[in-house]
Amino acid sequence: MSRTITIDPVTRVEGHGRVTIHLDERGKVEESYFHIVEFRGFERFIQGHPYWQAPNLVQRLCGICPVSHHLAAAKAIDQIVGIDPENLSPLAAKLRKLMHYAQIFQSHALHFFYLASPDLLFGMDAPPEKRNVVAVAAENRELAVKGITMRKFGQELIKALSGKKIHGTLAIPGGVYKTFKKKQRDYFLTGDELPNIDTMIEWSTEMVEFIKNYHIEHRVFLDEFAAFPSGHLGTVKPDGALELYDGRLRAIDSEGNITLPDVHSDDYAEYFSEAVARWSYMKFPYLKNVGRKQGWNRVGPMARLNICDYIPTPLAEKARLEYFDFTGHKVINSTMYSHWARLIETLHCAEVIKNLLHDEEILGEEDLVREGRHRQKGIGIIEAPRGTLTHHYEIDDKGMITRCNLIVSTTHNNDAMNEAVKWVANNVISKKEKITEGMLNQVEVAIRAYDPCLSCATQALGKMPLKAELYDHNGNLVQEILKN
Amino acid sequence: MGKILLIGIGNTGRGDDGLGWLFLDEIEKRYPGMFAAEYRYQLQVEDAELITRYDSVLFIDATQELIPGGCAIRPCESSGSFHYTSHMQSPEAIIYLSEELYGYEPDANILHISGYEWELGKQPEIKALDNLERALKLFHETFFDKSNTPAQTLKSKPVTL
Repeated sequence: MSRTITIDPVTRVEGHGRVTIHLDERGKVEESYFHIVEFRGFERFIQGHPYWQAPNLVQRLCGICPVSHHLAAAKAIDQIVGIDPENLSPLAAKLRKLMHYAQIFQSHALHFFYLASPDLLFGMDAPPEKRNVVAVAAENRELAVKGITMRKFGQELIKALSGKKIHGTLAIPGGVYKTFKKKQRDYFLTGDELPNIDTMIEWSTEMVEFIKNYHIEHRVFLDEFAAFPSGHLGTVKPDGALELYDGRLRAIDSEGNITLPDVHSDDYAEYFSEAVARWSYMKFPYLKNVGRKQGWNRVGPMARLNICDYIPTPLAEKARLEYFDFTGHKVINSTMYSHWARLIETLHCAEVIKNLLHDEEILGEEDLVREGRHRQKGIGIIEAPRGTLTHHYEIDDKGMITRCNLIVSTTHNNDAMNEAVKWVANNVISKKEKITEGMLNQVEVAIRAYDPCLSCATQALGKMPLKAELYDHNGNLVQEILKN
Repeated sequence: MGKILLIGIGNTGRGDDGLGWLFLDEIEKRYPGMFAAEYRYQLQVEDAELITRYDSVLFIDATQELIPGGCAIRPCESSGSFHYTSHMQSPEAIIYLSEELYGYEPDANILHISGYEWELGKQPEIKALDNLERALKLFHETFFDKSNTPAQTLKSKPVTL
């Protein structure tokens, strides 16, 4: 009896995705898909708007990573007003970086504590009612309070810089529009009202230790689960250091061979193309020189640690070395290592935030905005929490946007998430007499490791119903699961 | 007066879903500086920490429920039930988390305001705005005494017009 399993929507991810797994009469997996079924629209409706509106308009793509879109668009619009990243004033560059690292810090904290930790703490076969952050809070109070406080720290810093935790404004074409006051800075240093940045570093270090020990205890499973070869993409400084705000694009294959040799972000279109599939609104980016089949890349924390030569902050670098020593591999291709890599990046962000907070230049009040010779095209690429994020705008003579191309982090991970689903389908579900809820959750665990933001990837609008259905080969509904 | 927090939940870009935010706008006009106000698209786990700094909290949210009189204030009972996305929690779950994590249980209520249209880009319906006005009246009648002095806390008692 052939069957189709549908998981709709995938839970504890941002946005609405659907998984279908097609089984033949013997229960063997024939095919599996991770569908993105949300409406895509931002690239179109931003056309016709003045260029200077872009950094604010595009942050409405998402309520979780609006800062990333704000800054990527700002970098692109900087170029339209004649300012390349290296020509931004030091003050503007540092304030933007501070907000960017605060965003990654709070987003990574959110993913680990709110989304991933239930699976790690309670196991994938735990009852669904237990696999959530409320249960984590009830049984792991200290962990939950730290998670909430870390997220709050990042959000408060974003608010101090941009006026709001979500959808605030810091960047304007060629710079920033507001200064950062000493009193605001001291709020994050003194610890009088909120645990300070030193505490954030301490807690981030604890979390890295926690996940390292978790890997020691569950090594075989974490090494094997959803492991598959792929390319990896991210940005680095000229000396190969991990760089999240403004670096060169570097990609490697699954064994560490360079497939994209530190190219300037302005040249991305020469190297990347995007494929489409009839069953998803999300595109499939790939490197032209490698080809559609092998040229796709994972992005995000695991990919970034794979492609960089080192992390330029001491505690995170030490953690990175332990991470690679643990595996004994030069490149890590096991999906579940994303969580470990994410926590190392969380620590790195905390270290960078501390350095910036102690930099007196961030308190400056002069040279906020610069302007050069205007151009009709701008490209901004940053490393968002979930991976490489590209914003590309073109304008007409009146300054109206005529073209917008967004290659969102989650889009790069489209192939990877499909591979991860396929791995679970083949290794966990195939040929099983009974398909349990715990098995289906493993599909979601594999996707969740990539922290996908499906709203961003498709620029989605709409509600997210929750329904899982199992059909027999005649199309009869055999089983229905509601999670609402 | 105790410290009172009003949390408006919704999205003014989605028709009547913005009633919670519009309510806060009106409160600030009518009672400037008297209440702390927070605007939320959706409640998140960290709001459990926020409410520990207040004696009372009132969540204001539009509802599809057609309430007689257009609005109602109901006690917000603690509940460990959760929303599957983890990015959207109910007021009841926020109160539960506040108790569990911080050992704090504020006096909490929800002001529901009936809405009718929820499409993107729509303006609020006239009858929804009528309900908003009723909600403001209900709020005043419930939380202010005859001398127009606000109560010490927002008492937990179900109220409708």
